[in-house]
Amino acid sequence: MKGSYQISVANGKVKYDFLIRRNLTIIRGNSATGKTTLVEMIREYYESGESSGITLQCSRICRVLSGRDWKILLDATHESIVFIDEDNDFIFTNEFSEAVRNSDNYYVIVTRESLPNLPYSVDEIYGIRNSGYYAGLKQVYHEFYHIYGPFSFSPVFVPELIIVEDSNSGFEFFGAIGRDRNYSVISAEGKSNIFRKVYEAEAKNILVIADGAAFGPEIDRLVKLSLQKKTVALFLPESFEWLVLHSGVLKQGNLQEILENPEEFIESRDYFSWERFFTYLLTELTKDHYLRYSKRKLNPAYLNEPIVERILRQIEKIQLT
Amino acid sequence: MLSVFFGEMQGAIYNPSLFFKNSYTDDWITDDLSREMIRDVDQSTVIGPRVIDSPVLGGISPRELSGGVKTLIAVYKRPDKIFNASACGDNCAKWLLTIGEKMDVTVNLRHLMDFGDGEFTIHILNTDQLVHTMKEMLPIAGMIVG
Repeated sequence: MKGSYQISVANGKVKYDFLIRRNLTIIRGNSATGKTTLVEMIREYYESGESSGITLQCSRICRVLSGRDWKILLDATHESIVFIDEDNDFIFTNEFSEAVRNSDNYYVIVTRESLPNLPYSVDEIYGIRNSGYYAGLKQVYHEFYHIYGPFSFSPVFVPELIIVEDSNSGFEFFGAIGRDRNYSVISAEGKSNIFRKVYEAEAKNILVIADGAAFGPEIDRLVKLSLQKKTVALFLPESFEWLVLHSGVLKQGNLQEILENPEEFIESRDYFSWERFFTYLLTELTKDHYLRYSKRKLNPAYLNEPIVERILRQIEKIQLT
Repeated sequence: MLSVFFGEMQGAIYNPSLFFKNSYTDDWITDDLSREMIRDVDQSTVIGPRVIDSPVLGGISPRELSGGVKTLIAVYKRPDKIFNASACGDNCAKWLLTIGEKMDVTVNLRHLMDFGDGEFTIHILNTDQLVHTMKEMLPIAGMIVG
């Protein structure tokens, strides 16, 4: 499934309006904000339609997955938006992760816990807030808001240490531009190691560079650590490949259109997370190009001064050169 | 004292709302501390043991309280059990501390709950350490849960 979906669901007392734009969306936040009420309304509408007294507007079927027979239900669910409330511990299993990886549905999961088996984006973790009464009617209006970010810096952040999530091309790129400068660059060798690396680092100003498209499972503890250790900054583009594509060094075809609305081009069954799509896209677009890209080993052409300059231009308020 | 086990815990009740639904009695709702927690977390008023006035949903039964407040009441009323307190949002954290000041309770946390800027005493069972601030708790809990 691809695309973005506006969902509007209401009964006589509450109304929710929100947009889903990736295969994985997480809802968390304070108690009593209406998370379970939302899931219950989706369930009741799916079971009874308008005779439930609920109205639901969405161009896809919205349904709820729960209980021991979740896999049987999921096998029979396609091209739908699947909601899962927080009392379902199957969401932590490898079996569920595999089922999601190979499915053509989108998933909206209510949980405060990290789901390391699922590559969800830091941009798709929401809380629900009550925004008062809807247009003077009796319904209380609920909307989604981003729990984390935006991650901005003021004044300019000058790192002493940069911790890069991966150990491949992205790390090689930042490692190379950091050479002979006043900061060091290390690889965390995986996102789950970043928390420990940051905590143990003695450097004053630490910049973490990670793939935001799949960094959702790590973001909560990193944000909390950055609040305690005041000198940690997070730079979380979709991925290093997205940064390259977004830099303007390539001009092919409909690239701009793809970057403006990636959800219209990324089939969830084929790409578990957007970072994988951007890796595929950059590799494809450069295969007959002097900037031929390989994720494993950085093509030295990416270290040419004009290319470096274009890529770094997108990293605002962080002094890397 | 409040004791916390971080991460997956055998024997902990993962779905406290379900336990609450099948276990609560009228006195669980009318207890003074329960009333306070319902007022603070759900911003609702206990009218009687079977009716609660919610500003959003109107008159509701105890079954329709938030998952967070149901978990708090279950922790308070059944200290012999260990509940998954990750069913609670950060707005429940101060009440877990309050319950812990009244009695010895153990909860299972599978995420990094924010206990605020103040001082507290929590016994982390995984490492058998006492912590008194988030700054002390974070490096221990953060190595265990995401």
